[in-house]
Amino acid sequence: MNNFVWLVRREFWENKAIWMLPAIVAAFMVVAALFGGVHMGPNDISVGSGSSLSDSHGLGGRALFAFSVVFLIVMSIYSAWYLLDCLYADRKDRSILFWKSLPLTDAETVLSKLAVGLLIIPLVYFAIADLTTLTLAFIISIRASSWVGTSLWQPDNWLQLQALWLYMIVTLAVWLLPVAGWLMLVSAVATRAVMLWSVLPLLGLYLGERWVFGTHMVGSALSDRLVTGYALRAFHGDADGAGMLGAITHEVRAEAGIDAARSVWAYLDPVGFFGSPATWIGAAIGVALIVATIQVRARRSEI
Amino acid sequence: MTALIEARELTKKYGSHLALDHASFTIQSGRIVGLIGPNGAGKTTALRALLGLTSYEGELSVLGREPLRERADLMREACFIADVAVLPGWLRVDQAIDFVAGIHPRFRRERATALLEKTQIRHSYRMRELSKGMKTQVHLALTMAIDAKLFVLDEPTLGLDLLARRSFYDALVDDYMDETRTILVTTHQVEEIENLLTDVMFINKGRIVLDSSIDEIAERYAAVVVNSDQLEAARAAAPFFERRTLGKTILYFENPDRPKLESLGEVLTPSVSDLFVAKLSGNAA
Repeated sequence: MNNFVWLVRREFWENKAIWMLPAIVAAFMVVAALFGGVHMGPNDISVGSGSSLSDSHGLGGRALFAFSVVFLIVMSIYSAWYLLDCLYADRKDRSILFWKSLPLTDAETVLSKLAVGLLIIPLVYFAIADLTTLTLAFIISIRASSWVGTSLWQPDNWLQLQALWLYMIVTLAVWLLPVAGWLMLVSAVATRAVMLWSVLPLLGLYLGERWVFGTHMVGSALSDRLVTGYALRAFHGDADGAGMLGAITHEVRAEAGIDAARSVWAYLDPVGFFGSPATWIGAAIGVALIVATIQVRARRSEI
Repeated sequence: MTALIEARELTKKYGSHLALDHASFTIQSGRIVGLIGPNGAGKTTALRALLGLTSYEGELSVLGREPLRERADLMREACFIADVAVLPGWLRVDQAIDFVAGIHPRFRRERATALLEKTQIRHSYRMRELSKGMKTQVHLALTMAIDAKLFVLDEPTLGLDLLARRSFYDALVDDYMDETRTILVTTHQVEEIENLLTDVMFINKGRIVLDSSIDEIAERYAAVVVNSDQLEAARAAAPFFERRTLGKTILYFENPDRPKLESLGEVLTPSVSDLFVAKLSGNAA
């Protein structure tokens, strides 16, 4: 445990972007909120636009959600890059020869980096996104007409957003375990062009399967894992992006005739997610890839 | 004495190339051993195998452990500097000390700090701000503060200037070495370390071609400086190497018949560098 704490601290020393990148995103949002007509994400809100009063609750929820989406997108890209780089960078600068002179097992090293990529980076983004949302709500409530302000301060919205974040961090960590395992394996094996190596073998498999067998199993497995599969299993059927957004906007709930007490909780589907074979098949593949990564790491030295 | 390192039939293949070719050797504790060979002889591969950094065939025991499988455990009692300037550029000196202190049960922080105080290096510096020699000083301070039984160094002074090299080895021998420790050092610059060693191993093309203590060398090997009139007689005594210099010929003998050699010319004990040249040159028997 002690070693794990030091290894995670080490990752923060090396990869300042873990917290600097979301801090920059946050700073942009705050600046935009302070000086701009706020314009954010797919669900625009404009400070002082002439929306009717009835929209206000929905608008607040949407704004909160839109802020989060920006963080989620930046986080996904950064985490993937982090995992792809984490076992490659120290081989490239040859510092692996220093790290391996310390009494740390390769399993400890690999698992600490996996934990940073799948759990700790998301938690950092979560914390910063939360702070940002609070700050933005505060700024907008002062700058904008009062109805927008009050809508942002709905504690109900706020709590639901927390629940949504935490649920997504946990379930995505499980769902994306095979993706993380693959990226780390490439990071441990490749001697250059990690980005290319992370894509080429999969592309080769996809094209090979298409030409030889005329089927699309690899392609559909990949698109299921990366694009469509997660929301399908982790949320109830009516919860596509709009549904989820609806869950934290009273307005949509009201329009859909959903009981006002039915909140985001109603959309989360942990039973469906953890009961899905795809979840566990993916996790098993992820574990196998991680085990392979540890084995490769033990036998690799500097490039 | 207990053997600290035991290697039997140690073999490592890279494709069809044999980097280590059934090398067998033992290293006793309390020694300073030089593993010496030309470039590409298999020095680094041998050390990597000893330190658990690479897979190998054959039997290998270091401090009673199997290196590749038990590297982390081995590193509690062994430490190494494999190559210069491997501390990453982003790492600050104080972070490096904190990290090793946090991880390593046998690291003594005050010793590392004391060693660094003798240098110009401040704790707030990042490695990327330091010269190669300074990086080596930091690495050496970190490593010498570990109370280890075995210290392995692979070409530790490569690319350092003469002053840095000298102070590196002085620190190693004066501040670190005692009878509880064993140092294994590789280099292709023999003359730089021959005065510190208690034992030498020569490695060439993946094989151990000489494994001896410095004391034994004086008994096992002799060089005779011969004038041209005695040359044929000296050659008949089966030298394994000869070398011409300033009109005279120096012939090298293994397990020499000393009285006979003394009748041929002046008998010398070859230096490690001379022996290295003699053993590894093309006309070696």
